[in-house]
Amino acid sequence: MIVWLFLLLGFGRVPQTHTVEIRGMEFHPAALTAAVGDTVVWINRDIVPHTATAKGSAGWDTGSLVASQSGRYVVRHNGVLHYACTFHPTMHGTLTVR
Amino acid sequence: MPRPTHPLLVAVSLAIASSLHAQNAASPDLSDPEVAHVAVTANSIDIDMAKFAQTRTTNGAVKQFAATMITDHTAVNEQAAALAKKLGVTPADNAVSQSLEDGAKQARAALEPLHGKAFDRAYIDREVAYHQAVLDAIDKLLIPTTENADLRQLLTAVRPAVATHLEHAKHLRIELGGTPRASK
Repeated sequence: MIVWLFLLLGFGRVPQTHTVEIRGMEFHPAALTAAVGDTVVWINRDIVPHTATAKGSAGWDTGSLVASQSGRYVVRHNGVLHYACTFHPTMHGTLTVR
Repeated sequence: MPRPTHPLLVAVSLAIASSLHAQNAASPDLSDPEVAHVAVTANSIDIDMAKFAQTRTTNGAVKQFAATMITDHTAVNEQAAALAKKLGVTPADNAVSQSLEDGAKQARAALEPLHGKAFDRAYIDREVAYHQAVLDAIDKLLIPTTENADLRQLLTAVRPAVATHLEHAKHLRIELGGTPRASK
Protein backbone atom coordinates (compact mmCIF):
# COMPACT_ATOMS: atom_id res chain seq x y z
CA MET A 1 0.00 0.00 0.00
CA ILE A 2 2.76 2.42 0.96
CA VAL A 3 4.72 1.45 -2.15
CA TRP A 4 1.71 2.22 -4.35
CA LEU A 5 1.27 5.54 -2.58
CA PHE A 6 4.92 6.43 -3.29
CA LEU A 7 4.53 5.42 -6.92
CA LEU A 8 1.38 7.52 -7.30
CA LEU A 9 3.18 10.51 -5.80
CA GLY A 10 6.08 10.01 -8.17
CA PHE A 11 8.64 9.06 -5.54
CA GLY A 12 9.11 5.68 -7.17
CA ARG A 13 10.49 7.01 -10.44
CA VAL A 14 13.53 5.03 -11.44
CA PRO A 15 16.46 7.33 -12.29
CA GLN A 16 17.41 7.16 -15.93
CA THR A 17 20.73 7.36 -17.72
CA HIS A 18 20.99 9.66 -20.72
CA THR A 19 23.86 9.49 -23.17
CA VAL A 20 25.23 12.48 -25.06
CA GLU A 21 27.64 11.58 -27.85
CA ILE A 22 30.35 14.06 -28.72
CA ARG A 23 31.10 13.62 -32.41
CA GLY A 24 31.95 15.88 -35.28
CA MET A 25 32.76 18.63 -32.75
CA GLU A 26 29.12 18.73 -31.55
CA PHE A 27 27.06 17.41 -28.66
CA HIS A 28 24.38 14.91 -29.78
CA PRO A 29 21.75 15.71 -28.68
CA ALA A 30 22.69 19.33 -28.10
CA ALA A 31 19.53 19.81 -26.02
CA LEU A 32 18.64 17.15 -23.45
CA THR A 33 15.82 16.97 -20.90
CA ALA A 34 16.35 15.02 -17.68
CA ALA A 35 15.08 14.81 -14.11
CA VAL A 36 16.83 15.30 -10.78
CA GLY A 37 18.52 12.02 -9.91
CA ASP A 38 19.12 11.04 -13.54
CA THR A 39 22.62 10.50 -14.83
CA VAL A 40 23.98 12.12 -17.96
CA VAL A 41 26.91 10.39 -19.65
CA TRP A 42 29.02 12.18 -22.24
CA ILE A 43 31.10 9.92 -24.46
CA ASN A 44 33.73 11.33 -26.78
CA ARG A 45 33.61 9.79 -30.27
CA ASP A 46 36.02 12.36 -31.73
CA ILE A 47 39.77 12.08 -32.14
CA VAL A 48 40.47 15.26 -30.17
CA PRO A 49 39.79 15.71 -26.43
CA HIS A 50 36.67 17.50 -25.19
CA THR A 51 34.96 18.48 -21.97
CA ALA A 52 31.34 19.02 -20.98
CA THR A 53 31.61 21.89 -18.53
CA ALA A 54 28.70 23.72 -16.92
CA LYS A 55 28.48 27.45 -17.23
CA GLY A 56 27.64 29.50 -14.16
CA SER A 57 27.09 27.91 -10.78
CA ALA A 58 25.52 24.61 -11.91
CA GLY A 59 28.89 23.13 -11.17
CA TRP A 60 29.91 20.10 -13.13
CA ASP A 61 32.91 19.46 -15.30
CA THR A 62 33.74 16.14 -16.89
CA GLY A 63 37.36 17.21 -17.24
CA SER A 64 39.27 16.26 -20.35
CA LEU A 65 37.75 13.29 -22.18
CA VAL A 66 40.10 11.75 -24.71
CA ALA A 67 38.85 9.64 -27.61
CA SER A 68 36.37 6.96 -26.47
CA GLN A 69 36.45 8.19 -22.86
CA SER A 70 33.26 9.11 -21.02
CA GLY A 71 32.29 11.33 -18.10
CA ARG A 72 29.10 11.51 -16.08
CA TYR A 73 27.03 13.87 -13.99
CA VAL A 74 24.20 13.00 -11.61
CA VAL A 75 21.64 15.76 -12.04
CA ARG A 76 21.02 17.71 -8.84
CA HIS A 77 19.34 20.99 -9.75
CA ASN A 78 16.22 22.04 -11.63
CA GLY A 79 16.45 24.56 -14.39
CA VAL A 80 17.99 25.13 -17.78
CA LEU A 81 21.70 24.48 -17.54
CA HIS A 82 24.08 25.53 -20.26
CA TYR A 83 27.39 23.85 -20.84
CA ALA A 84 30.27 24.00 -23.30
CA CYS A 85 33.59 22.40 -24.17
CA THR A 86 36.34 24.42 -22.53
CA PHE A 87 38.77 23.50 -25.33
CA HIS A 88 36.35 24.46 -28.12
CA PRO A 89 34.17 27.39 -27.01
CA THR A 90 32.01 27.14 -30.14
CA MET A 91 30.62 23.79 -28.86
CA HIS A 92 27.50 24.28 -26.72
CA GLY A 93 24.85 22.12 -25.10
CA THR A 94 21.80 22.56 -22.91
CA LEU A 95 20.50 20.36 -20.12
CA THR A 96 16.91 21.08 -19.09
CA VAL A 97 16.04 19.58 -15.69
CA ARG A 98 12.45 19.26 -14.50
CA MET B 1 32.05 42.49 -50.62
CA PRO B 2 35.79 42.04 -51.26
CA ARG B 3 37.40 38.92 -49.79
CA PRO B 4 39.95 39.39 -46.98
CA THR B 5 43.36 39.78 -48.52
CA HIS B 6 45.64 39.53 -45.51
CA PRO B 7 49.17 38.77 -46.72
CA LEU B 8 49.37 35.59 -44.63
CA LEU B 9 46.12 34.32 -46.10
CA VAL B 10 47.43 35.08 -49.55
CA ALA B 11 50.74 33.37 -48.78
CA VAL B 12 49.16 30.19 -47.45
CA SER B 13 46.56 30.08 -50.20
CA LEU B 14 49.20 30.64 -52.85
CA ALA B 15 51.36 27.89 -51.37
CA ILE B 16 48.54 25.40 -51.52
CA ALA B 17 47.23 26.68 -54.86
CA SER B 18 50.68 26.46 -56.44
CA SER B 19 51.10 22.99 -54.99
CA LEU B 20 47.75 21.97 -56.39
CA HIS B 21 48.76 23.39 -59.74
CA ALA B 22 52.14 21.67 -59.65
CA GLN B 23 50.52 18.41 -58.68
CA ASN B 24 47.88 18.72 -61.36
CA ALA B 25 50.48 19.54 -63.97
CA ALA B 26 52.83 16.73 -63.03
CA SER B 27 50.43 14.14 -61.70
CA PRO B 28 46.70 14.39 -61.12
CA ASP B 29 46.83 12.61 -57.77
CA LEU B 30 48.83 12.45 -54.62
CA SER B 31 49.60 8.92 -53.55
CA ASP B 32 48.20 7.84 -50.20
CA PRO B 33 51.66 7.98 -48.54
CA GLU B 34 51.95 11.56 -49.84
CA VAL B 35 48.50 12.48 -48.54
CA ALA B 36 49.52 11.09 -45.15
CA HIS B 37 52.70 13.19 -45.25
CA VAL B 38 50.75 16.36 -46.07
CA ALA B 39 48.35 15.70 -43.19
CA VAL B 40 51.14 15.08 -40.68
CA THR B 41 53.07 18.13 -41.93
CA ALA B 42 50.02 20.40 -41.69
CA ASN B 43 49.44 19.28 -38.09
CA SER B 44 53.08 19.61 -37.10
CA ILE B 45 53.30 23.13 -38.51
CA ASP B 46 50.38 24.29 -36.40
CA ILE B 47 51.76 22.58 -33.28
CA ASP B 48 55.09 24.36 -33.73
CA MET B 49 53.39 27.70 -34.31
CA ALA B 50 51.24 27.24 -31.20
CA LYS B 51 54.30 26.39 -29.10
CA PHE B 52 55.95 29.57 -30.35
CA ALA B 53 52.79 31.58 -29.57
CA GLN B 54 52.74 30.23 -26.02
CA THR B 55 56.21 31.62 -25.43
CA ARG B 56 55.26 35.02 -26.86
CA THR B 57 51.67 35.86 -25.88
CA THR B 58 50.45 37.06 -22.48
CA ASN B 59 46.78 36.91 -23.46
CA GLY B 60 44.93 34.11 -21.61
CA ALA B 61 42.49 33.38 -24.43
CA VAL B 62 45.29 33.21 -26.99
CA LYS B 63 47.29 30.90 -24.70
CA GLN B 64 44.22 28.66 -24.33
CA PHE B 65 43.71 28.60 -28.08
CA ALA B 66 47.35 27.69 -28.63
CA ALA B 67 47.08 24.92 -26.02
CA THR B 68 44.05 23.51 -27.84
CA MET B 69 45.94 23.60 -31.14
CA ILE B 70 48.80 21.61 -29.59
CA THR B 71 46.48 19.07 -27.97
CA ASP B 72 44.21 18.57 -30.98
CA HIS B 73 46.81 18.45 -33.71
CA THR B 74 48.94 16.13 -31.60
CA ALA B 75 45.95 13.81 -31.16
CA VAL B 76 45.35 13.82 -34.91
CA ASN B 77 48.99 13.06 -35.66
CA GLU B 78 48.93 10.19 -33.17
CA GLN B 79 45.93 8.77 -35.02
CA ALA B 80 47.69 9.28 -38.35
CA ALA B 81 50.81 7.51 -37.06
CA ALA B 82 48.72 4.62 -35.74
CA LEU B 83 46.93 4.32 -39.08
CA ALA B 84 50.18 4.46 -41.06
CA LYS B 85 51.57 1.68 -38.87
CA LYS B 86 48.42 -0.39 -39.30
CA LEU B 87 48.52 0.06 -43.08
CA GLY B 88 52.26 -0.43 -43.29
CA VAL B 89 52.60 2.96 -45.00
CA THR B 90 55.55 5.33 -44.69
CA PRO B 91 54.46 8.96 -45.29
CA ALA B 92 56.24 10.31 -48.37
CA ASP B 93 57.52 13.87 -48.72
CA ASN B 94 56.14 15.78 -51.71
CA ALA B 95 55.65 19.23 -53.27
CA VAL B 96 52.57 20.09 -51.20
CA SER B 97 54.34 19.29 -47.93
CA GLN B 98 57.33 21.34 -49.06
CA SER B 99 55.10 24.30 -49.90
CA LEU B 100 53.46 24.08 -46.50
CA GLU B 101 56.88 24.04 -44.83
CA ASP B 102 57.99 27.06 -46.86
CA GLY B 103 54.79 28.91 -45.99
CA ALA B 104 55.32 28.11 -42.30
CA LYS B 105 58.82 29.55 -42.37
CA GLN B 106 57.53 32.76 -43.94
CA ALA B 107 54.71 33.00 -41.39
CA ARG B 108 57.12 32.43 -38.51
CA ALA B 109 59.46 35.13 -39.87
CA ALA B 110 56.55 37.58 -40.11
CA LEU B 111 55.55 36.91 -36.49
CA GLU B 112 59.06 36.93 -35.05
CA PRO B 113 59.44 40.71 -34.56
CA LEU B 114 55.97 41.20 -33.09
CA HIS B 115 54.97 41.47 -29.43
CA GLY B 116 51.87 42.19 -27.34
CA LYS B 117 48.58 42.84 -29.11
CA ALA B 118 50.28 43.13 -32.47
CA PHE B 119 51.60 39.58 -32.06
CA ASP B 120 48.26 38.23 -30.83
CA ARG B 121 46.38 39.70 -33.76
CA ALA B 122 48.94 38.56 -36.33
CA TYR B 123 49.10 35.05 -34.85
CA ILE B 124 45.33 34.67 -34.84
CA ASP B 125 45.09 36.19 -38.34
CA ARG B 126 47.54 33.55 -39.43
CA GLU B 127 45.54 30.80 -37.72
CA VAL B 128 42.36 31.97 -39.49
CA ALA B 129 44.17 31.93 -42.84
CA TYR B 130 45.95 28.64 -42.18
CA HIS B 131 42.88 26.72 -41.07
CA GLN B 132 40.88 28.07 -44.00
CA ALA B 133 43.63 26.96 -46.39
CA VAL B 134 43.92 23.53 -44.74
CA LEU B 135 40.15 23.12 -44.88
CA ASP B 136 40.25 23.90 -48.60
CA ALA B 137 43.10 21.43 -49.06
CA ILE B 138 41.18 18.70 -47.21
CA ASP B 139 38.13 19.25 -49.42
CA LYS B 140 39.80 19.84 -52.78
CA LEU B 141 42.99 17.82 -52.58
CA LEU B 142 43.37 15.36 -49.75
CA ILE B 143 39.99 13.62 -49.55
CA PRO B 144 39.40 13.51 -53.34
CA THR B 145 42.82 11.98 -54.04
CA THR B 146 42.88 9.45 -51.21
CA GLU B 147 42.22 5.89 -52.27
CA ASN B 148 42.52 4.09 -48.95
CA ALA B 149 39.19 4.05 -47.12
CA ASP B 150 40.74 4.22 -43.64
CA LEU B 151 42.85 7.24 -44.55
CA ARG B 152 39.87 8.96 -46.16
CA GLN B 153 37.84 8.23 -43.02
CA LEU B 154 40.54 9.80 -40.86
CA LEU B 155 40.61 12.93 -43.03
CA THR B 156 36.83 13.11 -42.92
CA ALA B 157 36.90 12.78 -39.13
CA VAL B 158 39.50 15.52 -38.84
CA ARG B 159 37.63 18.02 -41.01
CA PRO B 160 35.11 19.17 -38.33
CA ALA B 161 37.98 19.84 -35.92
CA VAL B 162 39.71 22.06 -38.45
CA ALA B 163 36.43 23.88 -39.12
CA THR B 164 35.90 24.37 -35.37
CA HIS B 165 39.43 25.72 -34.97
CA LEU B 166 38.70 28.17 -37.78
CA GLU B 167 35.54 29.42 -36.05
CA HIS B 168 37.35 29.62 -32.71
CA ALA B 169 40.11 31.70 -34.31
CA LYS B 170 37.59 34.00 -36.00
CA HIS B 171 35.80 34.63 -32.68
CA LEU B 172 39.10 35.26 -30.98
CA ARG B 173 40.14 37.69 -33.67
CA ILE B 174 36.98 39.73 -33.08
CA GLU B 175 37.67 39.73 -29.32
CA LEU B 176 41.15 41.01 -30.04
CA GLY B 177 39.70 43.96 -31.89
CA GLY B 178 37.82 43.71 -35.11
CA THR B 179 37.86 41.41 -38.08
CA PRO B 180 41.12 40.32 -39.71
CA ARG B 181 42.54 43.35 -41.40
CA ALA B 182 42.94 43.64 -45.10
CA SER B 183 46.35 44.10 -46.59
CA LYS B 184 47.46 47.52 -47.71
